[in-house]
Formats: sequence, structure tokens, C-alpha cells
Amino acid sequence: MLVTAAGAALLGGWAAWRTVRDRPVILRQLIAAAVVEGLLAVQVVVGLVAVARGGGPADGPTFWGYLVTTLFVLPVAAAWAFAERTRWSSVVLLVAALTVVFLQFRVVQVWTGA
Amino acid sequence: MSGATAPGTGAASGPGRALVALYGVLAIAATSRSGVQILRDFDAAPLAYSLSAAAALVYVVATVALARGARRVAWVAVCFEAVGVLVVGTLSLVRPELFPDATVWSGFGIGYGFVPLVLPALGLWWLVRTRDGRPTPDGAVAR
Repeated sequence: MLVTAAGAALLGGWAAWRTVRDRPVILRQLIAAAVVEGLLAVQVVVGLVAVARGGGPADGPTFWGYLVTTLFVLPVAAAWAFAERTRWSSVVLLVAALTVVFLQFRVVQVWTGA
Repeated sequence: MSGATAPGTGAASGPGRALVALYGVLAIAATSRSGVQILRDFDAAPLAYSLSAAAALVYVVATVALARGARRVAWVAVCFEAVGVLVVGTLSLVRPELFPDATVWSGFGIGYGFVPLVLPALGLWWLVRTRDGRPTPDGAVAR
């Protein structure tokens, strides 16, 4: 989870840099976003396995609510990046990456029951 | 280059797109949270949870209105949020006993990184900037 959050934070920093440079999102950023998305998918699998073994998150519905919502954030930003070829697609990717970072921290909190 | 933008398409391009993205995130966050609060223990803080639900609904309305260029609806929704975050933010500090649990607007939106305080300002700024058919920075003409 920390790796995913760190990856999303790096992606956000990259998007912020391109925002400042007045550049739109590029394919390499979308590949990076896909890697983060893959890590999120791994979390879903790990979560499901934990539940199947009788463990799992302290607060199930909230955990799955956060995790499933997180899955949608980057694909939407990526779709917008194709439609919006200005620096504003970088802003959208930045917002999306920060959202993923925040949601990851909530996912960790909910998993541990903090 | 967002050359596909037709006149009067609303905020779904250029800087407006970033605004819609922020609003969308907040709308989803507020709606999910208030849904969980109301379903789980509405009786714990009826006023706070009702306010959260109303706020969440208006964020959804504002997101859709901005995205589709329904400017009048957007004005009303964004103004409602601005007033809401200021009034409830102040009340939550002056009369905390009114709110046993936090709303999206408590402490001027501190639980959401002050995004609820900043967003209405950005929304109003965008609405003012794009009115009277003045072109937006990406060349689209607002209604």
C-alpha cells in the first residue's frame, strides 16, 4: 500500500511538473498510471484472499468502498487526458494522483481499524 | 488544443475541466461518506448528517451543472456551497455542541484539506471569468 501511495505521489509530482511547464499529459505518464493501477488491482486480490481466509479488513464495507472507488480515479483522468491536450490534463492527473494517495492512506487506516 | 470544443459547452474543457475534476472528487467523497453515516447511525447526529447529505447533493449538482454548462444552476449551487462552508464552518467553531459529528463543512472543511472552502471560490471565479460570452483561455465561448 505504501508502494502504491508512493507511486501515485511520484505520478502527481510528474503531473505537477508538466503543469508548471504548460504541457499536457503524455503516454509515458499514462503507462506510469497503469502501473499504479496494477498495484491497486494487486491490493484487491490480496484483500479478497485475506477475506477468503477469514481475515481481512476491520471495517469491510468501508474498505471495499474506498478501494473500488480508487480503481476508477486514474482511468477517468486518463480518458480526459486523451480529450484534453492542454496543460489542464496535467492538472486533472495531478488531482487524480493526489486523490489516490489520500484514498490509499484511508485504505490503510480502515484495514488496520485505526 | 481542444479544438473540438463547441461554443457553450460549459466547463468540460480547458481549466474548467480541472474544476469539474475537483468537484467530482469532492462530490463522490461527500456523497459516499454521508451515505454511510446516514445508513449506519443517523440518530447519533441528525443535524450534522442531514447537512452532510444536503451538501453532498449540491456538490453533485454543481459538478454536473459545471460540466454541462448549466450556468444558472451552477451559480446557485456554488453560492450555496460558499454560504454553507462559511456559516457551518463558523458555527462549528462557535457552537460545537450543535454538531456531535463532523460535517463536510465543519472547521471550514478542515477534514477535507480545506477543499470545500477553496472550491466555491474557484467555482465563482470561473463563472465570473467566463460570463458574457467572453472566450475562455482555450478559445471556447461561454454562454
